[in-house]
Amino acid sequence: MEGVLFPRGVPEGREGFKEYRDRGGYQALEKTLRSVPEEVIQIVSDAGLRGRGGAGFPTGKKWQFTREAPEQPRYLVLNGGEDEPGSKKDRVLLENLPHLVLEGTILGAYAIGASKAYLYINARYDDALKSVKDALAEAKSAGYYGSNIGGSGFNLEIEIVPAPHNYVAGEDTAVIEVIEGKKAWPRQKPPFPVTVGLFGKPTSVNNVETLANVPPIVLRGADWYRRFGTAESAGTMIFSLNDDVNRPGVYELPFGTPLRYLIEECGGGIKGGKKIKAIMPAAPSSAFLPPEKIDTALDHNSMREAGSALGCGVVKLVGEGTCIVEELIKIADFFASESCGQCPACRMETSSLAMMLKKVQAGQGGMPMLEQFGKILAFNKGKGFCNLIAMPGPPIESAIKLFPADFQAHLTTGKCPVN
Amino acid sequence: MARICLVCQNIDCKSRGSEQLTTELQQKIAAKGIADVEVKPYMCFGACQEGPNIVLYPEKSWYAKVQPRDLDDIVEHLAGGPHVQRLDTIDSSLKELIYQLLDTGVF
Repeated sequence: MEGVLFPRGVPEGREGFKEYRDRGGYQALEKTLRSVPEEVIQIVSDAGLRGRGGAGFPTGKKWQFTREAPEQPRYLVLNGGEDEPGSKKDRVLLENLPHLVLEGTILGAYAIGASKAYLYINARYDDALKSVKDALAEAKSAGYYGSNIGGSGFNLEIEIVPAPHNYVAGEDTAVIEVIEGKKAWPRQKPPFPVTVGLFGKPTSVNNVETLANVPPIVLRGADWYRRFGTAESAGTMIFSLNDDVNRPGVYELPFGTPLRYLIEECGGGIKGGKKIKAIMPAAPSSAFLPPEKIDTALDHNSMREAGSALGCGVVKLVGEGTCIVEELIKIADFFASESCGQCPACRMETSSLAMMLKKVQAGQGGMPMLEQFGKILAFNKGKGFCNLIAMPGPPIESAIKLFPADFQAHLTTGKCPVN
Repeated sequence: MARICLVCQNIDCKSRGSEQLTTELQQKIAAKGIADVEVKPYMCFGACQEGPNIVLYPEKSWYAKVQPRDLDDIVEHLAGGPHVQRLDTIDSSLKELIYQLLDTGVF
């Protein structure tokens, strides 16, 4: 099936300015500059585009809120921090389709009336940074951004900001802090960036993949876009598969595609011919699904109904012969080390959970230990400035429910049931 | 079971002097000749704004905003003296949560 972002399959090299132009690139922008910004917001809303960074917030709504905020100037931020372990989609887009991403950014800036856009890109992505830098030079000499773009009166400056490589640095308010020259610490919300964002002004922070969807939507229309996906999750999404499958990589699929298709047809199944013990549709922060749910559709509603989430599409498989307690320790250690440390509740929760799991691993605390996980999570629910505090809960609670035998073996014998 | 005196060593408590408190507490306990109390660091009790926090276990006394001048009273308590009521300011639901965790051996 043809894709939205990868119409000719996953690109293997960098698409240059001329190649992009030859397949219709920048036509969406040329068309848009002849219309009013509100039309862009309308078409993106009609298309049902939702953010691809993990939260799935409607993009048209975010842009409308930003545009309607009274303060000036306004800013658009392309969020390419991409620090979810295993996520590769933004990197592929930035490296190989820099003009698609850039055109989406310029369209977004036009829609919200931003005079400056920041491209926030993972500092470790050397090739992506170079690719985007070159694209900026090409687009500028062609007059696609700068002063009075295409004679429309629209002015836009664009600046690249390298993103520090820690997990919370991808949270939208932490992104804003970094661009302001501060530490990557999330801010308390509200106020939301759409009203009080970068330098205190209205700001729309959009994921790379989200913005890459905008040129095809504007060029080909909302009805065309809605041919892909489901009513509530329109379009396609790029999923990242890693070393736990036979064919790791990125795969663009329409929302609503069964999870089984991604794992078996795209990924070539789990590595080593093992049976699947659990599936994590949005690693590392979603609930585990049991293998019976492999036919769940890859869209926001279906995943929620199945008890998990879609996140930013990093699908992880746990094979038979893997102890879930050991898997959880890796996850809990990750969140404990990535907690930025400014919110006491998050610090306490993430460090306690990691320590408790290590006690379970060592066979200490007995079965009453299992009850403590839910209590710690419930106590800290809703606390903390950002969502990190809510992330260790779904994997831990789902694992306790789905794989009690693994916990029991550790707690009663002090030995791992597998290793 | 030996008694333990857990002193939080996370960012806030540390910035308010919990490392110095740990050393002084160890010295004062030794000077007093109390042999069955071990002073140990703890990762975080989740009461950072109330730090430095010290929890006596298994007796479950939680002392908050502890200053060096409070240590003599805490050592007196460990030696059989009275509970230091003025330092006992932590909300009971948080206390309960942490005590249950300590009961499962998380320290």
